[in-house]
Amino acid sequence: MLKIDRYAYINRLCHVHPVEKFSFALLTMMICLLSSSPLTSLLVILLMAGLVILPARIPVLFYLKLMLIPMAFLVTGVLTVALAFTKDPCSFLWAVKIGGYMFGMTTGGLIAAGKLFLKSLGAVSCLYFLSLTTPMVEIFSVLRKLRLPPLFIELMSLVYRFIFVFLETADKIYIAQASRWGYATLKTSYFSLGLMLSNLFSKSYYDAQMLFTTLLARCYTGELKVLEKSYSFSRKNLLLITAAELALLIISWWSGASTNF
Amino acid sequence: MTLLYREGRFPAGVSVMYKKILFITGLLAVFLLYPSDAYAMHIMEGFLPPLWCLLWGGITLPFLVAGMLAIKKTVKRHPEMKMLLGLVGAFAFVLSALKIPSVTGSCSHPTGVGLGAVLFGPATMSVLGFIVLIFQALLLAHGGISTLGANTFSMAVVGPLAAYLIYRLCVKLGTPLWLGVFLAAALGDLLTYVTTSFQLALAFPAEAGGFTASLVKFMGIFAVTQLPLAISEGLLTVVIFNLLTVHNKQELEELSVISRRDLTSKGAGA
Repeated sequence: MLKIDRYAYINRLCHVHPVEKFSFALLTMMICLLSSSPLTSLLVILLMAGLVILPARIPVLFYLKLMLIPMAFLVTGVLTVALAFTKDPCSFLWAVKIGGYMFGMTTGGLIAAGKLFLKSLGAVSCLYFLSLTTPMVEIFSVLRKLRLPPLFIELMSLVYRFIFVFLETADKIYIAQASRWGYATLKTSYFSLGLMLSNLFSKSYYDAQMLFTTLLARCYTGELKVLEKSYSFSRKNLLLITAAELALLIISWWSGASTNF
Repeated sequence: MTLLYREGRFPAGVSVMYKKILFITGLLAVFLLYPSDAYAMHIMEGFLPPLWCLLWGGITLPFLVAGMLAIKKTVKRHPEMKMLLGLVGAFAFVLSALKIPSVTGSCSHPTGVGLGAVLFGPATMSVLGFIVLIFQALLLAHGGISTLGANTFSMAVVGPLAAYLIYRLCVKLGTPLWLGVFLAAALGDLLTYVTTSFQLALAFPAEAGGFTASLVKFMGIFAVTQLPLAISEGLLTVVIFNLLTVHNKQELEELSVISRRDLTSKGAGA
């Protein structure tokens, strides 16, 4: 149902130590965000796409489709940054006058928008690298190593485990309702959706009670303990990660100093 | 048309008119067509400069700590509440992944801000909203890790707080339950996006006009396009709430352990 989650478990990089993948994704994202040169963003986009497609073997088409998801936000957001309006006609590249106001694009605005576009895409590809190669269960183990409150991680893993149960239930209820003309008009759609959600709510309530009873029957004392897969650090990967980060840092410093972008 | 204009067949005045009309139609198109299938508009990964990411994270942290402390206290007294909180968190995620038909004919995804705030209270909602946002970023690719602080502030702190206060005010004023729930959900949704516009305008002040000009731009796109969606969410929340008060009175009463007040005393009569 959630394709990203499925690929996280079946990709070819899922045997790599999660800490390696986690720190690689976050460090690269940080460099991408801090760097002011578009070259770095472009390199990050290419690097992450290459890693996700070649060693991890995620289908190219699926990756491209994923890249399209944030476009709705990205295009509107970037256009809003690029578009300027003022009362006095200043250095516009292209402008339209409406009722005393000038709407248009300035050179500075366009450059800023372009840089923002690349930078966001770079950061998004880092996020995709993490979510496509690392199963959520392994991310929890990384968070545990980061000393986040255990109660918080327990809540997170409970939410994660039941997302799929509820998504499936919601899907089944939807099919049952739709096949009985539940979504024929706007009015019935609202009523059907309301019915579905209130049912789902009582189901989550019932499931919670059942889960608690089950856990009590299995000697639950207030803490959920799960087994963690053991991974070993690979010296080669750590070396490659350090080399990649250093190269990115040097490139962004060099290109940031030499261009006015 | 463009060809004719380039060849200079129109007198100068007409071309200006034409440009103006084109521009206004373009703007209108953005307004009307934009939310054809809008997910809850979180700020995407990498859109905010690092300094703002840190700042919003810092502002959000105390609310999360307060929420965690409240949850810890509840769980200590009622151990079964931990399961319930985890499961309603999953419920909130599924809610945000569903599509609701909007009054304008397009589709949108509910934020669940109003429903969550009224059911669980704003303190619990801040933590649950945070968790839902993490999963939305990692599993659905909506929002992001770097913008998690900013999104949590608008979606899990400001929205639920506003919705909760509006709901309480309506209960106090003795308005019908449906009106209170509708206003809480619709305004909670809308205020979430007003906050998002503020965050974006602060991070990207316009070259000419600064923060205010930028705020007008972002409000125009992020808050105004959200209006019909806010109304849809308000309507849906009223339907859900009415059904819950009819069929799930006992559960709602038990939930008041989390939100710390009686929820159905007014609701049962409506």
